[in-house]
Amino acid sequence: MTDLLLHNARLIDPARGIDATGHIAVTDGVITAAGTGEPDKASMKAAAQSVDCGGACLAPGLVDMRVQTSDPGAEHLEDLATLLHAAAAGGITSIVALPDAKPVIDDASMIDSLSLRATRIDGARLFLYGAATTGLQGKAMAELGMMAEAGAVGFANGTRTIMDSLVMRRLLSYCGMLDKPLVQHCEDHALTAGSEMNESETSTRLGLIGAPAAAEAMIIDRDLHLVRMTGARYHAAHISTRDAVDSIRRAKDEGLAVTADTAPPYFMLNELSVSTYDTAFKLAPPLRSEDDREAIIEGIADGTIDAIASDHIAVDGDAKAQPFGPAQPGASGIDTLLALTLSLVHRERISMLRAMECLSLAPASILDIDGGALIEGAAADLVLFDPSASWVVRAADFASNSRITPFEGLPVQGRVRSSWVGGMPVFTRS
Amino acid sequence: MPPAYKLNSMTKQSDSGSRNTATLATTPAPPARLASKHLLGIEGLNPLEINALIDRGDMFADLIQEEQPITPPLSEVLKGRTVLNLFFENSTRTRVSFELAAKNLSGSVLNINVAGSSVKKGETLLDTATTLNAMHPHILVVRHNCSGAAQLLSQHVDAAVINAGDGRHEHPTQALLDALTIKRRVGRIEGLKIAICGDIANSRVARSNIHLLSTLGAEIRLVCPATLLPDAVDAMGVEIHTNLEQGIEGVDIVMMLRLQTERMEGTETPSQREYFNMFGLDRRKLMRAAPNALIMHPGPMNRGVEIDSATADDVEKSLIRTQVEIGVAARMACLEALATKEGAA
Repeated sequence: MTDLLLHNARLIDPARGIDATGHIAVTDGVITAAGTGEPDKASMKAAAQSVDCGGACLAPGLVDMRVQTSDPGAEHLEDLATLLHAAAAGGITSIVALPDAKPVIDDASMIDSLSLRATRIDGARLFLYGAATTGLQGKAMAELGMMAEAGAVGFANGTRTIMDSLVMRRLLSYCGMLDKPLVQHCEDHALTAGSEMNESETSTRLGLIGAPAAAEAMIIDRDLHLVRMTGARYHAAHISTRDAVDSIRRAKDEGLAVTADTAPPYFMLNELSVSTYDTAFKLAPPLRSEDDREAIIEGIADGTIDAIASDHIAVDGDAKAQPFGPAQPGASGIDTLLALTLSLVHRERISMLRAMECLSLAPASILDIDGGALIEGAAADLVLFDPSASWVVRAADFASNSRITPFEGLPVQGRVRSSWVGGMPVFTRS
Repeated sequence: MPPAYKLNSMTKQSDSGSRNTATLATTPAPPARLASKHLLGIEGLNPLEINALIDRGDMFADLIQEEQPITPPLSEVLKGRTVLNLFFENSTRTRVSFELAAKNLSGSVLNINVAGSSVKKGETLLDTATTLNAMHPHILVVRHNCSGAAQLLSQHVDAAVINAGDGRHEHPTQALLDALTIKRRVGRIEGLKIAICGDIANSRVARSNIHLLSTLGAEIRLVCPATLLPDAVDAMGVEIHTNLEQGIEGVDIVMMLRLQTERMEGTETPSQREYFNMFGLDRRKLMRAAPNALIMHPGPMNRGVEIDSATADDVEKSLIRTQVEIGVAARMACLEALATKEGAA
């Protein structure tokens, strides 16, 4: 007996490379059939619930591998329930949260506690990175082994680069031993100290202190030497520059276990957006040059950049209502992740399959979690969306409590209709 | 790496734990003879020399364990000779063990308390060596926190030098006493599966034991966190594991090492709690070793860090106290070998 039958859908399965009309049957939260064409009459009849998708895209739920949770520590900005519900509304069925909470997630008991709380919330699944260093201080290695045992999917140091090469080497050795990826925010902090935006003619004209683009690739290049020494899995997070893409491309050609992600601002916008000093455009890493933006798109298209993540963070309005320099970097992302990524499809820079691969299969495989595959036996984490449905980004309408976006007023295409986690509906647009 | 040559004919074969008088009644092992004037490390000793030291130590151990008096001529090997214990690092068991060994052989022993000596006043190692040399000691037992310090001293003194531990390099008498302890309990070294577990990077005991045990034909596995694994250590002919339970699967001997926090800079392992959780030996993890597996530790132990008390104090399985006892015998063999070498006797 099938619990749920979704048919007449445009089935998009990056795992099998399928983009065709098809159907999916779900029983006990698990995909029991996923094929092209229409199901036979008997199966239709046997289904407790049958949904005609009307040709909308049915794909694996999104796996957002870079989200900053404000819970614990700043629940007034966005608590875990709001975050996981909002993610579901954005078609995201798994969120991977960074350790930058208060207190920092650098202890196995924090992983346990947050994971347990997430199971009580009917929204996206929650996965966690453990902090690579105690208190994200970049000095002492946190208890990675115990956090891994508690379920940490990888280790990250938030938006603070591990600057000490010896600490980084040992972290890579240790992560390699645990077979977990180390996720690095790539920024030479010494070189970017005090910076307010990307270093360029624009920063000079605006009188803002610039962060050179090279500060990103310099860390990646150093880290690649350490990866060669340790053989560990290394993930460069939210890369934003051409030099970084080039470095990652060379590392992949060399056969190193290196992966990378980027976020929509880095393929949608460039540094010129900063010209009005609008702090919604203050991000970390900063918006880069047009050439960098083009390189990011090329990187996504040719597979150098594996994944696209939202880089979602709930920023306090007061922290943004500041002059550009002191304003806090970061913006909301989970409401817009799918539509902004689909803009690359509409502009014919990447295929629909590649887009969904970047949003589900790639992050899932980097982190060894389920997702990204519409195959029998997989958990029924699904998203149904109209790829062409148009809407205008209005932060006031966001499901998320985080209402600061650099895309305010932008017309986009692609809207989530429903999402399911483990076969249970977690979002349906009314 | 296989041993350079086989030694079956040289080693006493005994598979039962209860040997003792029977073997003693046969020909007692002669004093060991070494090619070198000094004992600076296991690396460089050939299997004949190693076995000679072990066999001679075995004879001394019989005497000590049976509480027999050590009589002439054995008791006079070091008569009229000065053994200088020069310890630049704190030590209780090794220093006392050498002192006892020397006294059993009638040597006069001088302990230099380096902490309160001219070294504190800024004297260099070589100046100290020159000064001590002028006092004409016969044997210098040296421990120093720098690798290579014993060798440096040996080049500047007339005495025979025994390395009692130099930095992360070697601790030859510890390896000899470990081998002797194993041999007395199991009857052989060859073919045994031995896991050396813990802080390999900072351990001179590990290096000496790797050289010695693999030379005698044991199969060595190293078990440690990836961060405590020295570069290219597999070139020493060992199998490497980063998981304790997998690493000790089916082994005959589990040799634990002390987490040498004094030699660490603080980021090799996250915490003692995590270290114990992943690399500490307890009864549950020990189940993976061979049923009659034995536990060793060069001491001093960090209980609850690399080993839990129940395991360390298990009289059936733990050889830790025996190691200390055997240490004196092994060092008597070493002192005797160097005294004989010196030729003044």
